[in-house]
Amino acid sequence: MKDLVHIYELEKLLQDSCNDAVRQAKAQGQYAIGSVCAMIPEPLLNLDNCFSVRLRAPRTGSMEMGTYYMTSIMCECARALLERAIEGGYGYLDCIIAPDACAQMNRCVENIDKLGLIDKENFFVTYSDVPMKSDETALRHYVRQMRQYVLEPLNRNLGVDVSDEALRRAVEKQNQVNRLVMEIGEYRKEANPRITGYEFAVLCLSTFVCPKEYILPILEETLDELKRREPDKKNPCRARVVMVGSEIDDPDLIRLTEEAGALVAADCYCLGSFPERLEIQLADGEDVLTGICRHYMEKGQCPRFMNTEKIRERHEYVDALAREFHADGIIYQQIKFCDYWGYERAYAGEVMREQYGYPVLSVDRPYVAGGSGQLRTRVQAFVESIEIKKLNRKDK
Amino acid sequence: MGKSMGSEPLGKLYGGKKAKKRREWRGLRDTWYDYVHWLGIWGTLIAFMLHPSNLKAFFRYRWMVHYLAVPDFFDRHTEGMRGTQLRVARVALELVVRDMCKSMAIMFRADPELGNDKKLNEKLVVFDENMMSQIMNGFPNLKWVCVEVPSVYTCAMMAQDGVLYYLDKAQEYGIPSDVCPMPAAELGVALEGDFPKIGKCAVQCNTTCDGSIMGNSVMASRMNLPTFQLAVPIRHGEESVQQYAAEEILNAIAFIEKQTGEAFDWNAFFETMKRFNKETEYLLEWYDISRTPYPQVTGNSLSLYRYAVYMAAGGRVKDFLTTDEKLTRLAMKGYEKKELMAKEVRHRAITWGVQSAYYTAFGIWLQNCWGIVPLVDMLTLCSTRMINTEDKDKAVYDLAYLYEKMIMRSRSNGGYEVGVADLWRFCESFHVDMVIMYAHMGCKSMSGYHGLFEEEARAHGIHLVWATHGLMDARGASRKDMRTEVNRYMRTVLREEPLDPSLEDFDDELAW
Repeated sequence: MKDLVHIYELEKLLQDSCNDAVRQAKAQGQYAIGSVCAMIPEPLLNLDNCFSVRLRAPRTGSMEMGTYYMTSIMCECARALLERAIEGGYGYLDCIIAPDACAQMNRCVENIDKLGLIDKENFFVTYSDVPMKSDETALRHYVRQMRQYVLEPLNRNLGVDVSDEALRRAVEKQNQVNRLVMEIGEYRKEANPRITGYEFAVLCLSTFVCPKEYILPILEETLDELKRREPDKKNPCRARVVMVGSEIDDPDLIRLTEEAGALVAADCYCLGSFPERLEIQLADGEDVLTGICRHYMEKGQCPRFMNTEKIRERHEYVDALAREFHADGIIYQQIKFCDYWGYERAYAGEVMREQYGYPVLSVDRPYVAGGSGQLRTRVQAFVESIEIKKLNRKDK
Repeated sequence: MGKSMGSEPLGKLYGGKKAKKRREWRGLRDTWYDYVHWLGIWGTLIAFMLHPSNLKAFFRYRWMVHYLAVPDFFDRHTEGMRGTQLRVARVALELVVRDMCKSMAIMFRADPELGNDKKLNEKLVVFDENMMSQIMNGFPNLKWVCVEVPSVYTCAMMAQDGVLYYLDKAQEYGIPSDVCPMPAAELGVALEGDFPKIGKCAVQCNTTCDGSIMGNSVMASRMNLPTFQLAVPIRHGEESVQQYAAEEILNAIAFIEKQTGEAFDWNAFFETMKRFNKETEYLLEWYDISRTPYPQVTGNSLSLYRYAVYMAAGGRVKDFLTTDEKLTRLAMKGYEKKELMAKEVRHRAITWGVQSAYYTAFGIWLQNCWGIVPLVDMLTLCSTRMINTEDKDKAVYDLAYLYEKMIMRSRSNGGYEVGVADLWRFCESFHVDMVIMYAHMGCKSMSGYHGLFEEEARAHGIHLVWATHGLMDARGASRKDMRTEVNRYMRTVLREEPLDPSLEDFDDELAW
């Protein structure tokens, strides 16, 4: 297939946390809000003259300093972010709005905070308590926390408009992005898709790390382009998979998977499109902040949701995605040392295999995984096993 | 060899086998006291085993075999002790054993595979190991049980290889080896079907860590019981979370009421919490003594006993209050006689981080070998706030606060203020010059502060000595490895000589 017009530009953009789009917005006087977790609703970080940037550490090499401060048993993503902060890579941020969601990311942010790694005037960090269950009690708590640790500090420190009207505008802006991403993602359902999983991952990830105004026209043009795009005659992928698991902030992992023969037909991981790019629907008569929080709580599929209903829902959700996107198998991946996904990967792997009958590949991986030969071999073997199963089925 | 502390080279008692070469000689009076109590422990165990359900449990559950090491556990935890210190340790820990025996007897009586007492089983509410038991104080007709404590937690303390089999099973299932061994071992027990299948319903909670939460999800699927998950706020130091914490406590109470048909009895709750408050008052007295040059209730005698009071007994068991009174009398006597905790007290220390389950006697070694007296530990330094025993609304908030301050999570969750900054406040309050920093290899919460601990200890002029361990898995860092880290610091940084050179290097690899 011909390259998408904007793909090179977006790939370049993803090479740096403080990318051109961020610099451009900063030059226009906008505030850069650092985010580290999906539990802080994105529209709250894109109010008024703010734009959210999900912290990443592209082109990570050494993590020596991050490892000194947090030891080698900590999540590599958390260590890489700390390393990047020590290198001065986040000096452009005006604040970091972090939940105390997973202990490791919390420690990363606390280190950035306590070591004074961003010495910008008026820079601040907030930590909030976010729900671990999905019910009405948790929702009320969520709303209170978001008001106290997100909206009020933004208003107090940066003078951001946090009125209901501003919230509605932010939701609408977010929904424009979400709708476009989802519409683009629909093409992955085709038997011979006109967009690869890698290209989609680049597009989707870009929406988390650029101001929405910047990325919107790119998404619109890409969608338009896709309507006319012709796929290659022969589909190079031999199997279709759903990629599930912990944060993927490097599309090279998706590229590696597809090079090994498995098309990533659907994505259900942090910084992927499901569930984070689902349209936010606000119910009539409900307070707008409550509506936003409800969406993030009810749609969230993070394994830190611990109530039984939510645990079952996670498995049903992946099953539904696999059916909708005609997947042959599921890849559960986690960044090494992630406690949440360490357990969920093992448990969900068993459930999806035994109860739902999917072939499952379960892997842990380093933060920088794009060049991992070991991972490539695992995926290749998985693809072959799916092919053998298909052949066996045909024979029967 | 004699009645004075440090008169015998204790390292020479280790011969590289499971048991020591011989019992320690502590002088006639203390040896007699210790021996009589050692026999008493055997008596408790034999009485326990005489009950048919309990005896059957030895053949049904593989983890039961480790309880044969209970007498040895006492020897390890009284090593080198004399006088008041010996009596405090014996009195405190013996009650814990008796209480455990009672609790296990209830479980085995109800266990369908053992006693099969169906009526009793209907009255049991199974709590997660990390869940404090005080909610059950309002259900006097029900019984609180925790299947994970005897099968995993105390097992790992009795024998250093106590849970390795179950850890291996969890890893075979697919759990990574880098997670905390405690929830992993619990999961292993669940996967093997080695938990007693008892209870009317279960309550789990999100303490103590991310791994623990996730282990629970798989366990809940294996237990087949109606289960409530209590979400205790993580940022427990913040006023803003208290309302949610209280609402969740009420949700948990409502769940138990619904499942069991029992109503929460506020009078019973207030009565037991008065006892719990009294127990807290005694604890504060012991802390006061520990701030003087003559601390008396410290180390394991404090920590293991306090865990039982704080988490399990929770004010419901009258014997603990009686024992608190006895311990306080003993402590006052020792204080008045100016008894020391070691032959020579060179360093007053706090142990921070999560202590190793397979080497709970590490603190005693610190005393005997280097004269480092661990006054108090991180896990004991939880809430000492009194629970309101008159006003229901206030009591719920106090109870919620207590749950937020569960052992370990009160420091490992909640952020820098409670995990790091509080340490320096305690150092000042207890006049310590050294922190023994347990580096539990699976504990991400505390490891994330590694560099901050180093830098801030230097700034506060505190000696920070790391002791790396694997909590319940000694294969990555043995007891000897833990000692070596301290030995190196004491030799090379402080240039000190050990009080008992025989303890500097000895072989306990195969010991219980």
